Amino acid sequence: MKTLDKTELSKFLEGLRADFRVITPLQEGEDLLFGEFDSSKLAVNFTGRPIIPPKEYLFPQQERLFTFTAEEGDRVEVKAYLNEEKQVIWGIRPCDLCGIKTLDSIFLSNYVDTYYQARRENTILMGLNCNQACETGFCNSLQTGPFAKDSFDLIFTDLANRYLVEVGSKAGEAMIARRANLFTEASDEDKGEANRLEEKSKQGFKPLFDMKGVDNKLAQAWDDRLWAEESDSCILCGGCNFVCPTCHCFNIEDIKAGRESERVRCWDSCQLGGFTQMAAENTRQTQGERLRQRIYHKFSYTPAKYDGAIGCSGCGRCIEVCPSNIDITHILERVIKR
Amino acid sequence: MRENIYAPSLAIIKKVRDEAEGVKTFTLEFKDLAIRKAFDYRPGQFGEVTIFGTGEAPISITSSPVNKGYLELCVAEVGRVTRALHLKQEGEVIGVRGPYGNGFPFNEVEGKDILFVAGGIGLAPLRSLINQMFTERGKFGKLSILYGARYPGLLCFKDDLKRWAGLENSQVLLTVDVADDSWQGNIGVVGSLLAKIEVNLENTVAFVCGPPIMIHFVILDLLKMGFKEDRIITTMERRMECGLGKCGHCNIGVKYVCQDGPVFSYQELRELGENV
Amino acid sequence: MKKVLTTCEFCGCGCNFYLGVEDNKVVAVYPCASHPVNQGRLCIKGWQGHDYIHSPERLTTPLIKQGDTFREASWEEAYRLIADRLRGIKEKYGSDSIAVFSSAKCTNEENYLLQKFARAVIGTNNVDHCARLCHASTIVGLMATFGSGAMTNSINEIGNAEVIFVIGSNTTEQHPLIASQIIKAVKGGSKLIVADPRKIQLARFASIHLSHKVGTDVALINGMLNVIISEGLLDKDFIENRTEDFDKLKEEVAKFTPQKSSQITGVPAEQIVEAARVFAKSRKSTIIYAMGITQHTTGVDNVMSCANLAMVTGNIGRESTGVDPLRGQNNVQGACDMGALPNVFPGYQAVTNDELRQNFERGWGVKLPSQPGLTTIEAVDKGLEGELKALYIMGENIMLSDPDVNHVEQALNSLDFLVVQDIFLTETARLADVVLPGVSFAEKDGTFTSTERRVQRVRRAIDPIGMSKPDCKVITELSSYLGYEMDYASPGEIMDEIARLTPIYGGISYSRLEDKGLQWPCPSPDHPGTSYLHKGQFSRAGGRGKFYAIPYRPPAELPDSNYPFALTTGRVGFHWHTGTMTRKDWVLDREYPRGYVEVNAQDATKLGIRNGMMVKVASRRGEISLQAKVVDTIQAGLLFIPFHFAEAAANKLTGANLDPVAKIPEYKVCAVKLERD
Repeated sequence: MKTLDKTELSKFLEGLRADFRVITPLQEGEDLLFGEFDSSKLAVNFTGRPIIPPKEYLFPQQERLFTFTAEEGDRVEVKAYLNEEKQVIWGIRPCDLCGIKTLDSIFLSNYVDTYYQARRENTILMGLNCNQACETGFCNSLQTGPFAKDSFDLIFTDLANRYLVEVGSKAGEAMIARRANLFTEASDEDKGEANRLEEKSKQGFKPLFDMKGVDNKLAQAWDDRLWAEESDSCILCGGCNFVCPTCHCFNIEDIKAGRESERVRCWDSCQLGGFTQMAAENTRQTQGERLRQRIYHKFSYTPAKYDGAIGCSGCGRCIEVCPSNIDITHILERVIKR
Repeated sequence: MRENIYAPSLAIIKKVRDEAEGVKTFTLEFKDLAIRKAFDYRPGQFGEVTIFGTGEAPISITSSPVNKGYLELCVAEVGRVTRALHLKQEGEVIGVRGPYGNGFPFNEVEGKDILFVAGGIGLAPLRSLINQMFTERGKFGKLSILYGARYPGLLCFKDDLKRWAGLENSQVLLTVDVADDSWQGNIGVVGSLLAKIEVNLENTVAFVCGPPIMIHFVILDLLKMGFKEDRIITTMERRMECGLGKCGHCNIGVKYVCQDGPVFSYQELRELGENV
Repeated sequence: MKKVLTTCEFCGCGCNFYLGVEDNKVVAVYPCASHPVNQGRLCIKGWQGHDYIHSPERLTTPLIKQGDTFREASWEEAYRLIADRLRGIKEKYGSDSIAVFSSAKCTNEENYLLQKFARAVIGTNNVDHCARLCHASTIVGLMATFGSGAMTNSINEIGNAEVIFVIGSNTTEQHPLIASQIIKAVKGGSKLIVADPRKIQLARFASIHLSHKVGTDVALINGMLNVIISEGLLDKDFIENRTEDFDKLKEEVAKFTPQKSSQITGVPAEQIVEAARVFAKSRKSTIIYAMGITQHTTGVDNVMSCANLAMVTGNIGRESTGVDPLRGQNNVQGACDMGALPNVFPGYQAVTNDELRQNFERGWGVKLPSQPGLTTIEAVDKGLEGELKALYIMGENIMLSDPDVNHVEQALNSLDFLVVQDIFLTETARLADVVLPGVSFAEKDGTFTSTERRVQRVRRAIDPIGMSKPDCKVITELSSYLGYEMDYASPGEIMDEIARLTPIYGGISYSRLEDKGLQWPCPSPDHPGTSYLHKGQFSRAGGRGKFYAIPYRPPAELPDSNYPFALTTGRVGFHWHTGTMTRKDWVLDREYPRGYVEVNAQDATKLGIRNGMMVKVASRRGEISLQAKVVDTIQAGLLFIPFHFAEAAANKLTGANLDPVAKIPEYKVCAVKLERD
C-alpha cells in the first residue's frame, strides 16, 4: 500500500503517456466525461461518475470489425480491425470496475470476443473509491461500492491531500514501479483514514431495501402486472442500456460503399421493439416484456449464467438518463415487497 | 495471432437449385482447402452467412456431415440478406462462419425409432439429420418421415423424399393443406398424418421442425398421443446476429438460442420461461 | 477522440450532446448532463440517429441534369449555370417569377443569408419554408392575440405546472424531452388533460382524455370557455386589465353549451365540463399544442381559441402558465425568426412597413421589394400555372412533405428551372436541374433556435463530406456570381449582422452563446434573455391581449359515401419527417421499416382486414398500398398514416385545402376510402 501526493497525480499520469494512452475523467465545462488525460481538464474533487461508463474503451459505441473489398473474380479481401493500443484508464468508480468485471465474464467466456479481448488485454484499470454517495447510485445496497475490493490493477482513495493507492494485480504493481519515486509507503493512519471514509460514504446513501433473495423473488414475479405498469411511460430511448456498465448487447451492420463494405457493431438496446424482431414475428411485443427482460437479465440470468457475475452494479445512471424517470430501485422494491 | 471469431471464411457457390417456391438450395465450397477439409458440424447446426455488401444471417445447414468437402444451405427469401443471397449465381463468393448451435441429439437417440414431423422449409435442418442417420442405419430403428406444406409448390427435397421412401424400415408420408390439380396424395395439416402411422411410444423420439404455429399444434398432438416431453425435440427461432452468445438478441432466460439451442426438447422449452 | 458539444439536429426540444469524433468520423454520442432542457437525457434519435451523416448516399459533388440523369460537375460550373439561368429568368419575367424555399433544418445564419439572397439579390419577397406546413397558423394566431408568435413559456416550467392541457400534440413521440417534463409533472401530482382523436401514449397519463373528432377543436375549446364563463371560473381582473374584446368572445361561446359542444366533438359533455373546471381552477395551468391544432383550414382559429383559453383564466404572463406551440424542426423557430417568410424581414418586421424596410435597405445596400411574396403552397400552384418560372429549394423535400404530392410533381416539372440544395438526392432533388451538396449539422458552425426561443450553438465536428460545402458558403458564393458580395469571415459575423438588424436578437453574439444559449427576446448585449413572455403586458401594440370570437367551421373535406373514412396524418418517434435522414439509420429503420395505416379494430373486422394485411387507401387525389395496423387506440371511422415513407406517401392522399390567412394545409383531415389490396 502506498500514498501519492495529490500534486503528483498529474506527473504520474503524464509519465504513463510515453507508453500508454491515458484516459481520465475530465471536466468539460460543467460536464464530467472520460477523455484523453489533459492536466488542465483533469477532474479533481468530483462526486459521481461520467454519464457514459468506461466500458466504451473496451466495447466502443461504434466499432469497425471488418472491411470487405470485392476484387476480381471470386476474390474478397477480408480485413479485420483489432485495437491493441495500450491504455490506462484512471478514475474508474467501483460501480464501473464491477461492470468491467462482468463484461469480462461475458465477452471472455465461451467464444472469446476477439475485439474485446484485444482491448482488454492492453488495458490497465485504476479505480477511484467514492467518498461521497452520488445522487442516484445504490451500490451500497448491492455491495458493489462505494469502495471496491477487487477487479482493479490499482485503486485510489482520496485522503484530502493525498491518495491511498492499493495494488490489485502485478500489472498494477508495475505501474507504481515505473515512477516509484512519486510514491510513499502508506501508514496505518492512512489505511485507517480510508476505512473511516468508507464507512462515512456508506452512511451517505439513501437506505434501501434488502437485496437478499432477489433472485427468488424475481422467479415469483414473472406474471406480475408491475412490468406493464412500470414500463408504461417508457419512450424507448434506449438510454438505460447505453449508459449501463454491464450492458453488452450490440447490433452488427454492413455498410456498402462501392466495392467495399464495412462491418460495424454498435450498442443496441433490448428496450427497443426491433430488438427481437424477426421476419414474421416479434417475440417480445410489449414494453412490459422488454422491461422484464432488462431486470431479469441483470438480476437473475447474468448471475446464473456467469457464475455469480453481477448484472447490476448500482451505479444509478439508468435512473438519471431516463426521460420518464423510470427508477430501477423502485421496480426492485416492488419485486421484493410483493 | 488472435483467432477472430467474427471472421467469415470465403465460400464459392458451386450450385444453385430451385428447391420450391421462394426457396433455393445452395451448394458451397470453402475457398481455403484447409478449411474445406476441416469444416465439420452436427446436423441441426447453422452457419452465419455473409452476403458481402448486404449483411449476415443465420442459416441452418441441410447437408450432412458425411458429405465431406461441401456444404448445402436451403434458404427461403424472407428478408434483406436472404433476398440478396437469392440473387447470387454459381461461381459467386459469399462468407460463412460457424458451425454454431448445439445440433440435434444423435448418439443420444441410438437404438430408438425416430419420428420426423416437418413442415415447409422446416425439412431442411431435419434432412441433415435424416441423411446422416441413413448412413449410420444400424444405429437406429424405424425412421418415419411425415412431411407437409401449404401447397405442393412449397414441398422441398422431393428427390430425397422419394429415395427415403424406398429405403428399408422407413416410411414417408406427405400431405398438403391445399391441393392442386396434380396432387394425388393426402390433404390436411401435417399433424393429421400422425393418425396414419403406428408408433411404439416406449421407444420413439420425435423431431419436429417447421413454422412456429405448426410446431405448436404438432407438439400438442404428440403429447396427446402419449409422448413424454423429453422425447419431443424441436428447434426454436429467435432473432440471431452474432451466433456466438454475445450480442444478446436471442437471449431467453439463462440461455442463448444460438449456443444452447436452437435445438431443444419440449421439456427444456417449457423450462425456459418467456412465451415460447 | 474529440468531443464536440452541439445542438441536436432533429426536433425543437433543442437538446445538447457531445459528438465523439475519431478520424473525422462521428462515432459516439455523449448527452450533455448540464443542459437545462435535456439534463443528460436523449431520445433514440439523439442517441443513435446520426448514421446518415456518413451514409455512402451523401451528395458529394454538384450535379447537373443531363437528359434523365445527372452528371457530376464542379462548383464553378454549377454556380455559373445557376447564376446565368436565374439572371435570365429575372430579366425576362421579373424578380417575382422566382421563389426561394429555405430550410428549417439549416442554421439561423443560413436562413438569414438565403432570405437576404432572395430579397437583395433576386429582388423578391417570394421566400418561405416549411413552417408554412406546420406552425404558420401559430405565427398568425398568436401574433393577432398576443403580439408574438412564439412559445410563451420555457420547457422547464412545464415540470412545475399544476395543470397541463395538451391538445393536438403526440408529445412522447414528437418532443420526447418535453414529454419528459409533462411526465415528471404528472408523477409529481400535476393533472394532465389530453385532447387527441387517438389514444396516444401521453393520454395514458391523463386524468382526462378528450377524444374529440378531427377538426372540432374550436367547438371543444369554446365548450370549455362556455363552462368557465358560466361557472364564474374566469379571471376577471386579468380580463379587465390586460385584455380587450372579451364581450365578443363571451357572446360567441354562449352558444357552445357543453351539450352543443359534445354534439359536434363527440366528447361526453361531463368530460368537457370537468376539463374546463380543472384547467380554470388552477393558477398554474399551461396549454401545449402542436400539429393537431395548426394543420387545419381552421388552423388560425384553433390557435386563437387556445389563446382565448389562456387569457380567460389569466394563465399567461407567469411562470408555468402560457401557450406553448411546440415547434417541430430543430430550427423552424429560427427560420421564422430569420425572416424566411414572405411577409416579414428578420425579427417579424413587416416588408410593407416603409421605415423597417428602409433599415434593411441601409443594412444591405439595395432597394428591397415592398409587397409580401408567395407562400410555399401558392408558389407551387403558380409553378403549375406558369407564372412562377424558377424555384430554389434548400433543405426541404416538398415531394413528400407538401400535401397532394402528385400535384407538386406536376408543378415542379412545369418550372423552367429548379435548383435543390440538400445532403441527399431526395425525391425533390431528383426533379432538379441542378443539385448542390450541402452539409449536415455536424459539418458546420452556426446556431439553431429551439421551440423555447433558445438560440444555441451548433459546432462543427467533422469536415464536410466529399466536395460538399456548408450551406452558408454555398449561398455567399452563389451570390457573388450574381454580383452581390456577401463577405463574412465566419458564421459568427453573420450573427453579428443579424443582431444589428433584428431587435429580438439584438444582444446575441457567439461569445454570449458559449454556455447554454440565450432565449430571445434578448435586445441588448447585457440582457440575460427571456424565459417567459407577456409578463406585465402583452407584446401586442397597446400591451393588451386580444380575444377573438371564433365560430366553429368544419374541416374542408369530410367523409362522404364515396370516401367514408377520415384520414389524419402524423409522425412516429423513430423517424423524422420525410425520412431522408432516419430511414438510413439501422436502429430507426429496424423499428419502423415500412409505412402503415392505423385502422380501428371494429372497422377492420367489418372490412375483413387483419393486422399486417396489405390494404389500399385512396382519396380524390391519389392512392397508396400499405400494411394495415389494427389498433384499438383510434376512433372508428378514422385512419392514421405517418408521412415518413416515400413508397406509401401519406401526402399522395392529402389535399391542399388551406387556412385562408396562414395558408397552411389541412393535413389532419381529408376523406379516403379503405379496402383490401
